[in-house]
Amino acid sequence: MKYRITHRTAYSYSSPVALCQNEAHLTPRSCNMQTVLEHKILISPQTAAYSERVDFFGNHVAYFAVQQPHTELVVTAISAVELDTDNGQLHFQSNACWEEAVTRIRDQLTPANLEARQYLLDSPMVKASADIADYAAMSFLRQRPLVEAVHDLMARIHTDFTYDPGFTEIATPLQHVFEHRRGVCQDFAHLAIACLRTQGLAARYVSGYLETQPPPGQEKLQGADASHAWFAVYDPDVGWLDFDPTNNKIPMHQHITTAWGRDYADITPLKGIVFGGGKHKARVGVDVERI
Amino acid sequence: MAASPHSKLIDDYRCLPGVPDEMLDAAGKVRADWRYVGQALDALSQGELVKRQHEARRLLRDSGVTYTIHGAPQGLEHPWQLDPIPYLVASDEWAAIESGLMQRAELMNLLLKDIYGPQELIRKGILPLELIYAHGGFLRPCHAIPFPGEHALAFYAADLARGTDGSMWVLGDRSQAPSGAGYALENRVVMTRILPSLFRDAHVHRLALFFQNLRASIAAMAPRAGEEARVIVLTPGPLNETYFEHSFLASYLGYTLAQGDDLTVRDGRVWLRSMKRLEPVDVILRRVDDHYCDPLALRADSRLGVPGLTEAVRRGHVRIINPIGSSVLENPGLFAFLPDIARHLLGQELELPSVASWWCGQPEACSHVLANLDRLLIKPIYREVGSRTIDTSRLSEAARGELKTRIKAQPHLFVGQERIGFSTVPTLVEAGLEARQAVLRSFLVARKDGYVVMPGGLTRVAPSKDSFDVSGQAGGLSKDTWILATEPEKQISLLPASITGITALQRRGDLPGGAANSLFWLGRYAERAEQSARFMRTTLRLHRDAVEYGGSVDQACLDDLLQGLTHLTTTYPGFVGAQGRSRRSEPVPELVALILDGQRRGTISFNLQALLGAAYAVRDRLSGDTWRIVNDIRGRLQHLQTIEYGRGNDLQNHLDDLIMALIALAGGAQESMLRAQAWLFLDMGRRIERALLMISMLRSTVIARRDPQEEALLLESVLRSADSLRAYRHSYHDQPQIGAGLNLLLHDEGNPRSLAFQLGQLQARVVALPHEEGLRITEEQRLVLDAVHRLQLSRLEELVAFDAERPSRLVLDRQLSDIAALLRATSSALTKDYFADLRGPQQLLNDAADAT
Repeated sequence: MKYRITHRTAYSYSSPVALCQNEAHLTPRSCNMQTVLEHKILISPQTAAYSERVDFFGNHVAYFAVQQPHTELVVTAISAVELDTDNGQLHFQSNACWEEAVTRIRDQLTPANLEARQYLLDSPMVKASADIADYAAMSFLRQRPLVEAVHDLMARIHTDFTYDPGFTEIATPLQHVFEHRRGVCQDFAHLAIACLRTQGLAARYVSGYLETQPPPGQEKLQGADASHAWFAVYDPDVGWLDFDPTNNKIPMHQHITTAWGRDYADITPLKGIVFGGGKHKARVGVDVERI
Repeated sequence: MAASPHSKLIDDYRCLPGVPDEMLDAAGKVRADWRYVGQALDALSQGELVKRQHEARRLLRDSGVTYTIHGAPQGLEHPWQLDPIPYLVASDEWAAIESGLMQRAELMNLLLKDIYGPQELIRKGILPLELIYAHGGFLRPCHAIPFPGEHALAFYAADLARGTDGSMWVLGDRSQAPSGAGYALENRVVMTRILPSLFRDAHVHRLALFFQNLRASIAAMAPRAGEEARVIVLTPGPLNETYFEHSFLASYLGYTLAQGDDLTVRDGRVWLRSMKRLEPVDVILRRVDDHYCDPLALRADSRLGVPGLTEAVRRGHVRIINPIGSSVLENPGLFAFLPDIARHLLGQELELPSVASWWCGQPEACSHVLANLDRLLIKPIYREVGSRTIDTSRLSEAARGELKTRIKAQPHLFVGQERIGFSTVPTLVEAGLEARQAVLRSFLVARKDGYVVMPGGLTRVAPSKDSFDVSGQAGGLSKDTWILATEPEKQISLLPASITGITALQRRGDLPGGAANSLFWLGRYAERAEQSARFMRTTLRLHRDAVEYGGSVDQACLDDLLQGLTHLTTTYPGFVGAQGRSRRSEPVPELVALILDGQRRGTISFNLQALLGAAYAVRDRLSGDTWRIVNDIRGRLQHLQTIEYGRGNDLQNHLDDLIMALIALAGGAQESMLRAQAWLFLDMGRRIERALLMISMLRSTVIARRDPQEEALLLESVLRSADSLRAYRHSYHDQPQIGAGLNLLLHDEGNPRSLAFQLGQLQARVVALPHEEGLRITEEQRLVLDAVHRLQLSRLEELVAFDAERPSRLVLDRQLSDIAALLRATSSALTKDYFADLRGPQQLLNDAADAT
């Protein structure tokens, strides 16, 4: 399956910005789930000092500055990716019970285990707590297969929590989400990650896009899609397994991966510091189309 | 000095049980290395030593050596405490310590390079991943940024103390922005002043060479070849606890002191905003903590850093000392692994032992810590706000249980450390000498072929004899550290550049916007304080006359002067508002408040505080004598706020003293400052303020039509307040008359208090400001020229004439208010063009995440 993704972010300012500098995690990465066919980032007004690098987690990140006075900044990332649909099979290859995964990642110093171990620790936006550990424990019954336990956790989050875009913002602490049982995809991903880490399992945050279908009989609207986030858990036998708690499903044909890290803070799609600008407004539009 | 065999000071000195003493051996005899210094100190007697200590205190206060203790009532003003008895280390022992320190610095350097590079130690299992990755100082955005050259860690410090076994132990490492080297140097300067012959005869190693090495090392790091490097000392600002040192080191080493908003990143490079220009920056000696260095890549809410700094480093255009992320080495959990790491990276055994430590991330170590909790110190692996060392012996049973639970929940964040007693060193207290535990901070700088150790260091002693807490924040005392040479050091030929030689290299051209702003406001506040004090003094004098003689003219004039005072100080409503009349009938409380109330904007105390704050922010640019005057003003302000005001008469004497100090400040600036950009801004501030205050005084006294006697008395008061009454009498031998008076105060270019004089000076200053090539006239020049012309073209007879319809000198009033508006516009134009960028930075909100 091939997709073209257009992710447009526009900032408008009440007074001119003299200098802005940004970092963008907008470039999809090639991995065992997908191949990136093409990618470009268009920025208006013209940038100075544009550069790209690979970050600590292996994601592509772009740095750029706009050094001329401006009242609007538009960043458009256009990508074409091909998904390898067979990768959902990974979940079927995982047989280990979850306790085995916990022991092996701790005790076996393989490069892959070592790489995964950083995802066991607290991270800026995901702090473990006793309540969350208790909540998680209900899914991690003794000797349960890892995939089954995580599946159960995902399903419980999907059932117990209400999707409510107005309730949280980026800075809402996880504990608040947990207590009020509502949030959006980032919150659910963060919560699942916290749950897994309390059990001694390595879990990471994945950002990307989801193809959405219009209601039957209606045409798909421009910009109606959105960026999306889910999580992956590490099985020392087969590697990283993705789960989408917002939709209670295994990402397969419709999830396009942009980047991964410990949590949202590591891979914020677009962040920036501006001088001037007064008040500002951000508008974001995402289109995911099949090609 | 004759040695007295039964010296009382040393006879009375008592060691602490269970810990060794630096001066006395186990048998209570003075150690050989201390004999000379001990005898010399004894010969001085307690009284003389105390005198020297007071002298030290005075010298430190005069040079403004301070250390801010958070939450202390003195705020910025905590004086640095120096004990006159040095901490001695004999040369043969020092050789071993030096070698151990050099090894440790090299080890830390390699460790830093590995952590931010290949991470071999983690991959080979020598260093546990969690110990590094869970440490707040490990900054992922800084990973894989190449370190050019051999030494990533340019500057390093270690805290040492002698344990009960007599050997030196490392208590901690300081790697991101070690503080204390400047204090060590200042301690030395003071010691050579208070105990000159002792210092000379004791053969003490000098410190200057170390700072030359530091300079040379920094110069060698500049990425731009061929040109003289521009080095910036990046400070969080005057509120930082060690700001004194930032400013001291900047001026001692000849670097420009700047705050984050004086710097900007453009085209992937760092630039200093200086006088409308952007100057390339090569090396940043930072005193801003890791996380705060770059709000784009690191903590987004930091106001202390420079957005894009990390990117500029990544591109290799700027070097930061030490690299952003180097606080990862400040981790007591590393101690347990250092011996293995030394074997692996250096092929050597660790020479200097670290205090025995157990990192709880390892199950066996964790069990040990939990089982022996009572006799250990518990430390977090990462120091941050709210985290601290926990002395378990002071915890209740419940708190201990709670601590155990916290350790068990996240063991990898904790370290158990043996609680060791440090050796004591004699310290001067009221009763004589007292044994206090001491910690020595040593400093090292990287040169091409290895590390160089400062032959000395900063010794701190515990605040009381039964305290273990040896840190500046605990309010401890400091000592100079003397490394004794076996023979006198030949120094002159080895040290081509003395202190003054180094300072002379300072780049004169650089003036960061923040510093320009502070200088300008230093000038304005100094003038505002001085002029308000003069006007206040005149008002108090008239008040006394009015009370004593009760004349109606005096009373009417007093009424006008009181209102004028409120206008001059902009302390509305004061004597002019709805309650103005009643306040004027009983003016003393408001007058006292206008002097003493430091919380209220516009009062004399407020202006003095603002003056002191501005002076503190540019202390590296003020001469030694000027700084002494600033200290004198600080002392007067403190004194002023403690006195009972009586009936206002005593206030007048205090005002006299204060005015003298402020005149000295003005004179100091005039006579001791280089006629470079710093002076331009200071003087422009002063001229603009003096002109505005003259205008304010005139507008509240000579505009409205008044009884002739009253007008003469008011004019006399203005002349007196402008220190021009003598000049008037000398020129006119007459009772003040409006025409002659206005001429002297407005048009007379020979009167340094006149408006014409201020505008003339201001015009010369704005012409001297740097500006864009090819610009015919700058905004500042245009505004000042306009003001000059208005004044020059005004006719005295039109100015003194009353309006045909109203009892008021409307022409004069209009001229004065127009000129005042032009001066205010000049001040705004300077702010916009030359001072720090006031518009940001702000973080972009990303509400892009409204996902499915």
